[in-house]
Amino acid sequence: MAKNEALYEAVLKGRRKDVSTIVHESVDAEINVAEILMESMIPAMAEIGDRFSRNEAYVPEMLIAARAMQAGLDILDPLLAEAGHKPIGKVAIGTVKGDLHDIGKNLVAMMLKGAGFDVVDLGVDCDIEKYREAVENGVQVILLSALLTTTMPYMKEVVEALKNSGAKILVGGAPVTQAYADEIGADGYSDDANTAVKSAKDALGIAA
Amino acid sequence: MRFKLISCEIFFREMEFLLGQSLHEIDVEFLQKGLHDIPSDEMTRRIQTQVDAASEQDYDAILLGYGLCNNGLDGIVARNVQLVLPRAHDCISLFFGSRQRYKEYFDANPGTFFKTTGWIERDEIADELKQLSIPNQTGMDMTYEQLVDQYGEDNAEFLWEELCNTEKNYSQITFIEMGVEPDGSFEQTARDEAAAKEWKFKKEIGNLTLLQRLLGGDWNDDFLIIPPHHKIIARHDELIVSSTAED
Repeated sequence: MAKNEALYEAVLKGRRKDVSTIVHESVDAEINVAEILMESMIPAMAEIGDRFSRNEAYVPEMLIAARAMQAGLDILDPLLAEAGHKPIGKVAIGTVKGDLHDIGKNLVAMMLKGAGFDVVDLGVDCDIEKYREAVENGVQVILLSALLTTTMPYMKEVVEALKNSGAKILVGGAPVTQAYADEIGADGYSDDANTAVKSAKDALGIAA
Repeated sequence: MRFKLISCEIFFREMEFLLGQSLHEIDVEFLQKGLHDIPSDEMTRRIQTQVDAASEQDYDAILLGYGLCNNGLDGIVARNVQLVLPRAHDCISLFFGSRQRYKEYFDANPGTFFKTTGWIERDEIADELKQLSIPNQTGMDMTYEQLVDQYGEDNAEFLWEELCNTEKNYSQITFIEMGVEPDGSFEQTARDEAAAKEWKFKKEIGNLTLLQRLLGGDWNDDFLIIPPHHKIIARHDELIVSSTAED
């Protein structure tokens, strides 16, 4: 297994076209597709996330890295499936009922994909049934987002409805706090997109 | 009675109108609407500073012209003067005159921007707060040209849609007429904005009752009274806020 420095840098710097080119070349050179993903691309996303946590990178940098990552995944995903490579977990994310804000939710979804999760994006204005359906389709973790104190209390209803479903429930968004997560019995909380990835891994017992 | 009103400037015209009719002696401090755009703990800190200064004087109560405001009022401590806060998530309840009416309207009208005189003439963030503001810290307030400069054309287009286009899930402007407008120009501004965005326009008649009760000392169940040495806490249910003894 080996890291492709050029690919790692292209993901890290958000150079989408370079990522496509290098991934195509690597596939043509018959390099193991799981190796391309695990040794170069996922580490680049982990690095941008950590830089964000250290205030060395900002939201736009994280977004363009995630987009570059996606360009690589678009090529690799069918090949990874063919090779029997499994995502590290299956998660669903959605903004709760009544709330149409999705900038933060989308960023978290992209970071989760960048970490190797299979991510089902449920969109905005999600009611309990939408989350329940995701769980019935094999999702192991549900992530709830809210931007408003008016919509946040719906998280409690979702947790109550799905606490025995077997899925872990994580919460986040501007008005949400660890205290609120504890109060409603959520399995985890995170205050930014990088820690959301760590929380999802923790919830599934995956080593960071 | 002698009150101190510490209020968001979003209510400037409504408060001025009501202060003129007040039976009480009320000193007034308007704070910037931009506090809404900075991290909530910083908003709390700045309002607390005003509360502390007012508490040095002999007031019967300090009136807070706010709602919970994205937890910006969560944690505010009453020193030796009691505080009074309307039970509201934000200013829209206070413009509607009832948190129940706001909730019904919110549920029935998803994706609505509300406009009032304050939201039209005071929806700006002062330079002093800009650096601290969440849009500034996340890059959400960058112009398209700045995005191109910093991240190149290909990524700029993506970032514009993904990060800076905060209006993409909105489709309606509702103008709340409070009866304090000098003429039809504010409503026209709101109508023009809706037309320019190709959004639906609606007009609702507001209700000054909550603000009137706040200034009138007529605090019913729609208000939280925070006794000295107690603090405001957010309570995540229909009562919105309650108070607890200070730590």
